[in-house]
Amino acid sequence: MSDRDIIAGSVLDGAALTVDQVCAVCSIEQEWIVRRVEEGLLEVSGTSVTEWRFSSAHLRRAQRMRALERDFDAGPELAALMADMLDEMDELRARLRRAGLG
Amino acid sequence: MEFKDYYQALGVPRDAPVDEIKKAYRKLARKYHPDVSKEKDAEARMKEVNEAYAVLSDPEKRAAYDQVGKGYQPGQEFRPPPDWDSGFEYSGSGFSGQEAADFSDFFSELFGRMGTGRGTAHARGGDHHARIALDIEDAFTGATRQISLRAPKIDSSGRVTLDTRTLNVKIPKGIREGQIIRLAGQGDPGLGEGTRGDLLLEVQFRGHPRYRADGRDLLVELPVAPWEAALGAVVPVDVPDGILKVRIPAGAQSGRQLRVRERGIPGDPAGDLLLEIRIVVPEASTPKAKELYETMARELAFDPRAQAGARP
Repeated sequence: MSDRDIIAGSVLDGAALTVDQVCAVCSIEQEWIVRRVEEGLLEVSGTSVTEWRFSSAHLRRAQRMRALERDFDAGPELAALMADMLDEMDELRARLRRAGLG
Repeated sequence: MEFKDYYQALGVPRDAPVDEIKKAYRKLARKYHPDVSKEKDAEARMKEVNEAYAVLSDPEKRAAYDQVGKGYQPGQEFRPPPDWDSGFEYSGSGFSGQEAADFSDFFSELFGRMGTGRGTAHARGGDHHARIALDIEDAFTGATRQISLRAPKIDSSGRVTLDTRTLNVKIPKGIREGQIIRLAGQGDPGLGEGTRGDLLLEVQFRGHPRYRADGRDLLVELPVAPWEAALGAVVPVDVPDGILKVRIPAGAQSGRQLRVRERGIPGDPAGDLLLEIRIVVPEASTPKAKELYETMARELAFDPRAQAGARP
């Protein structure tokens, strides 16, 4: 492997993804994101849609909510509640693992 | 390529109405949902179930599948007729590119023309997202890591096939969990003169038996002997970038954290190293050890349950 073959990228720190990037990655319409941000189901930093920036945690949450809505025909509020609970479960499982109990 | 029986995957008869398919899918999605399922092969089964549902829930795809699948048994070697997909134009499946990339070769052979379900007004290619699993040590030294990505690719006849790409990615020193490495121009090709999209790699650290990262800070468990904790000591600690000598203050207790400034994940500012003290008690396995414990029991007026509230 020569140095030429190695790709160096730029590191995006914290909330750095635009709404277009999130839509592209999750295969969702912008309208889907806008509605959920406006209803407070999805957090974001920035005030207007063009200024919104998402972190990788926001991105994961959007993917999770999207899959729950699709798989179970769940309403956005229910999918968000479920996503909250799954996030909490992830956190508890990580703590169990750290304590050597997972 | 093996024929896949999507009806069998969902456990429904071939003439099942749409409602029944939906019901069966939801039941299985609950059973195998990777976040909650206790089943061993939950993730693999969920992919199968998603793939089956992507086909059977879509009237166009289901009709095409029924037509081509006549007379095939599951697992049987499958070859689609040469002109099989003429006349079909598939719309989106509701699954993201990332999820669809997990579908089988059988699926991509049959439904290769499936769109991504998004408008194609933008000339710029789409951005892709993937996770990259790194060792915590990589954050201390920097590294080059090879990743393989499966992504849909359009060939000259307009069919979409799954393409495996291998990239060697430079991991900069100081990388942290949750950060995204953006590789410009490594996403989807653009339309016409449009530029390629980007590849966004989300950084995750693999589990490590001793190290754990919390943002910039590195948490390390530090086992100490009871006399080191009681009397204080200077002990060597293995950290990703070498060995550190750390002073344990006299009277340290289990669970107490020692902070060593700027010896966590490098950067500006660097994170801290947090050492969590765990007192390890030697076994009383020899007469000498027993004697020492008995002397302590006799001569130290010590009741670990004496604190308020500690005694039941």
